[in-house]
Amino acid sequence: MVKKRTWASIYLFCVFVVLYLPIFYLMFYSFNKAGTMTHFTGFTLDWYKEVFSDKRLIVIVIDTVIVALLSSVISTALGVVGALAVYSTKRRSAKNALLSLNNILMVSPDVIIGASFLILFTLIGIKLGFVSVLLAHIAFSVPIVVLMVLPKLQEMSPTFIDAARDLGARRRDVLLKVVLPFITPGIFAGFFMALTYSLDDFAVTFFVTGNGFSTLSVEIYSRARQGISMSVNALSTLIFLITLAIVLVYYFFSNGIGKAKSYSGGRRV
Amino acid sequence: MKKISVMLVAVLILVLVLAFVAAKLTGSTTRAGAKTLTIYNWGDYIDPTLITKFEKKYGYRVVYQTFDSNEAMLTKIQQGGTSFDLIVPSDYMISKMRDEHLLLPINMKNVPNLKNVDSRFMNLSFDPNNRYSVPYFWGTVGIVYNPKMLGGDKITSWNDLWDKNYKNQILLVDSAREIIGMGLNSLHYSVNDTNEKHLDQTLRKLKRLTPNIKAIVGDENKLLLPRREAAIGVLWSGDAVEIMDENPELTYVIPKEGSNVWFDNMAIPKGATNKKGAEEFINFMLDPRNAAKNAEYVGYATPDKAAMRYLPKKIKNDKRFYPDKKLTDRLEVYDNFSKPMNAKFNELFLEFKMSHH
Repeated sequence: MVKKRTWASIYLFCVFVVLYLPIFYLMFYSFNKAGTMTHFTGFTLDWYKEVFSDKRLIVIVIDTVIVALLSSVISTALGVVGALAVYSTKRRSAKNALLSLNNILMVSPDVIIGASFLILFTLIGIKLGFVSVLLAHIAFSVPIVVLMVLPKLQEMSPTFIDAARDLGARRRDVLLKVVLPFITPGIFAGFFMALTYSLDDFAVTFFVTGNGFSTLSVEIYSRARQGISMSVNALSTLIFLITLAIVLVYYFFSNGIGKAKSYSGGRRV
Repeated sequence: MKKISVMLVAVLILVLVLAFVAAKLTGSTTRAGAKTLTIYNWGDYIDPTLITKFEKKYGYRVVYQTFDSNEAMLTKIQQGGTSFDLIVPSDYMISKMRDEHLLLPINMKNVPNLKNVDSRFMNLSFDPNNRYSVPYFWGTVGIVYNPKMLGGDKITSWNDLWDKNYKNQILLVDSAREIIGMGLNSLHYSVNDTNEKHLDQTLRKLKRLTPNIKAIVGDENKLLLPRREAAIGVLWSGDAVEIMDENPELTYVIPKEGSNVWFDNMAIPKGATNKKGAEEFINFMLDPRNAAKNAEYVGYATPDKAAMRYLPKKIKNDKRFYPDKKLTDRLEVYDNFSKPMNAKFNELFLEFKMSHH
C-alpha cells in the first residue's frame, strides 16, 4: 500500500514538473541581462521596466482581462439558461438536436468562427473593436458553459424538484433555492473555463479586433516577426504571479466560507 | 446562490476598476477630442517614443495596431470594419494592393522630407514614381554563417554553399521565392527569371545542394544558428541582425552574384479617414533624426540617406547591412508574379523539398 502511494506521488511529481518547468524556464530568463533565452549572463530588472513603460501593452493587458471577465459572466448567464432549456426539453429528438448544435460550435475550428464573425460584423455595420471582440468571445464561450452545467443538472435527482413543488415552492423558488445551488459548482466551472478560453483565444479574436483594440495573444503574436523580446517573458511572469495570487486568495476565501458554514450548520443541529 | 452573487459583484467591480485604470492610462498620453490617426504596422516595428513625439507635435491621437503578415493585413483591409490611415506592407504587397485599387496616391506636397530618401530606393518596380508608397525599412536575402565552425572559411557567394566540406551544415529558410531565387542567382540569372529552361536548370542545381542541407526551417533558424546547431543559414538580413546579436561569432554576407532586396513601405489604404495626418506621419518618419532613432530601435536598415548622420558609426559603416551602391546595383526587387507563376515557383520548391528527404 505504501509502495503504491510512493509511485503515485512520483508520477504526480513528474507530471507537475512537465507542466511547470516551461513556465519557470520562461520566468528565469525574464531576469536575463543578455535578452535571450539561451544563456544567462546576469541579473537585470530592465525587462520589467520596459513592460511598465510600454503603456500600450499595459492597456492591452487590461483590455484583455476586461473582455475575459465580461464575456465569461455574460456567457455563463446565457449558458446556464441554455443548459436549463436543454434539460427541460422533453422530446428526446429535440434534445439531441439542441445538444448537437451546441457541440458543433465547440468543435468547429476557431478560424472559421472568426472569419464568419468578421463577415457578419462588417455586414451589419458593427465597428470592429471592444464590442465585436466581446460579442465573439461570448458566442464561443456559451457552448462551453452549457457543456459544463448540463452534467450537473443531469446528476440532480428529479425528485428534488418534485419534493420542492410538493412542499409548495413556486417555480421561481425551485429554480433559485433548489436547482441553482445544486448546479453552482458547474456554473463556476463553466465561468472559469469561459475565462481561460477568452484569455487564450487567438484565432477568433484576430479576425474581430480593429480600430486599435487588441488583446494580449494577438499582440504577442504580431510581435513574433521580430523575435519575442524578454519583456514578454517579464509580462508572462507578472501575469503568472497575479494568477497565482488570485487562486490563493480564492482558495482561502472559499475554505473560510466552507468552514464557517459547516460550523454554524453543526451548531444548528 | 449567495456565492454566485458575491462572485458576480466582485467581477463587475473588478471590471469597473480596470476600465477606469485603462481610461486613465490612455487619457494621460493623449488629449480628448483630438483627431485620430490609425496606424497598422508590423508588431514591434517602431520606436514607441516616436509615436508620443508625433502626437505632441501634430496634436493627433494615434491609434496603433499591429499585424504579423502581409496577408493578414490585406484581409483586414479588404474586409473593412476598421478605417486604417497608414499601413506598412512589403514590396510585392504594394503592387498587389495597387492593382486591386486598395491604395490612395500620396500627395507628396505634404511630404517634403521625401528628398531625404536615398535615390537608390526610389522609383522601384513595385511602385513606379512612388505614387502610392514611401520606403520605411529595407533589407536583403543573404547568408549567415559561423566562420569558427567552418575552420575560418569565408563565404562570399551563393556558389560557395555547394562546397563538399559543408555537408549537413546549411539551414534554408522555408520560402519558395527566396530559395528558387538563390538557385537562379547562383546560375547568374535574375531572381525574377521565368524562363522554363532556366528554372529546370535551377531545380537540378538546387537538388545537388541536398547533401549540404541540414533542414528547411521557418523562424527556428533564429534559435538554431546562435546555438551552433548549424554553421550556415540562408535568410533575411533582419533575422541576421538578431542572430548576430545573440551570438557575435556569426556574420552575414550578401552573395556577390546578387540577391533579393526587400522593402517595407508606408502607404495609405483606401478608406483612410485622415489622409492628411497619414502624410504628416510619413513626413515625420522621414525626418533624419526620427528615422535614425527608429532604425536604432528596430535594427533594420533605413532608406533615409539624411539619417546616416545621426546613426552611430558602428551601424552606418556596416557594409553587410548598409551595402554600397556597387552591391545594391546587383540586388533585385521581386516582381509581383501572376498566380500561375507563383504556383509554378511553389511547385518547383516543393519538388526540391521532396528530394531533400
